Amino acid sequence: MTLDDISNQLYQLVNSGDPEFAQAAAYVAQTAQAVQSGQMNTAEMAEILRDVQRQLSIINDMSRLAFKETLNSCITGLITLAGLPI
Amino acid sequence: MKQRIWYIIELSAVVLSMAALSGCAVYDAVNALSYDSNEYYLVTEIRVAAQDYSTHCDDEVRSRANAQDMHRKTRMFAAYSEHLPSNTDGLSAAKTLDEMAQGLTDRYAQPDRVSALFCKLKFGGIEHSAETIQHVLGNRPR
Repeated sequence: MTLDDISNQLYQLVNSGDPEFAQAAAYVAQTAQAVQSGQMNTAEMAEILRDVQRQLSIINDMSRLAFKETLNSCITGLITLAGLPI
Repeated sequence: MKQRIWYIIELSAVVLSMAALSGCAVYDAVNALSYDSNEYYLVTEIRVAAQDYSTHCDDEVRSRANAQDMHRKTRMFAAYSEHLPSNTDGLSAAKTLDEMAQGLTDRYAQPDRVSALFCKLKFGGIEHSAETIQHVLGNRPR
């Protein structure tokens, strides 16, 4: 993947219409610009981009956890409706 | 008699609903943890500390100490989450948050200068992730 390919994909994400993806893509693009302007070095940029991946991983873990908790509430509710002891 | 038929219909609804879901999902859901005030406190402390520490990023000496303190807090949170039963996703998130803080202390441990922008982005990322976790933990059933 070339730098142009990456820039094009970021541009598509920024203009995807999805606010979450657009915000993340804009953040990545701004980070790359900060390196070009000398505000950060490339090692720092790499670590910041790894943090973006880590944040996505945390969102994924928390989405699963929230789903399980909702499912638990539904099962408990159904058992209650059926008049069974929980 | 009518009441008994209604009971059987409701019972069938429960059994069919549970059968429609995978066994693991149901098992995990039924064993989902309830609200834990200690866990919620730890992640809230991480979030607030990250907010405070991001304002001191222009002072490298102070920020090095702040980074170490943040890493201690995230280690504490991960260690607390480690042996809670049925907490696979919570532990995974706590460990990932700890990795984020570790990346900051590792950077400050190197001899070259750490940029203020890097410090701000790192603490900002930790704060954002801590808030994501806090939101879900706070919504656990009481």
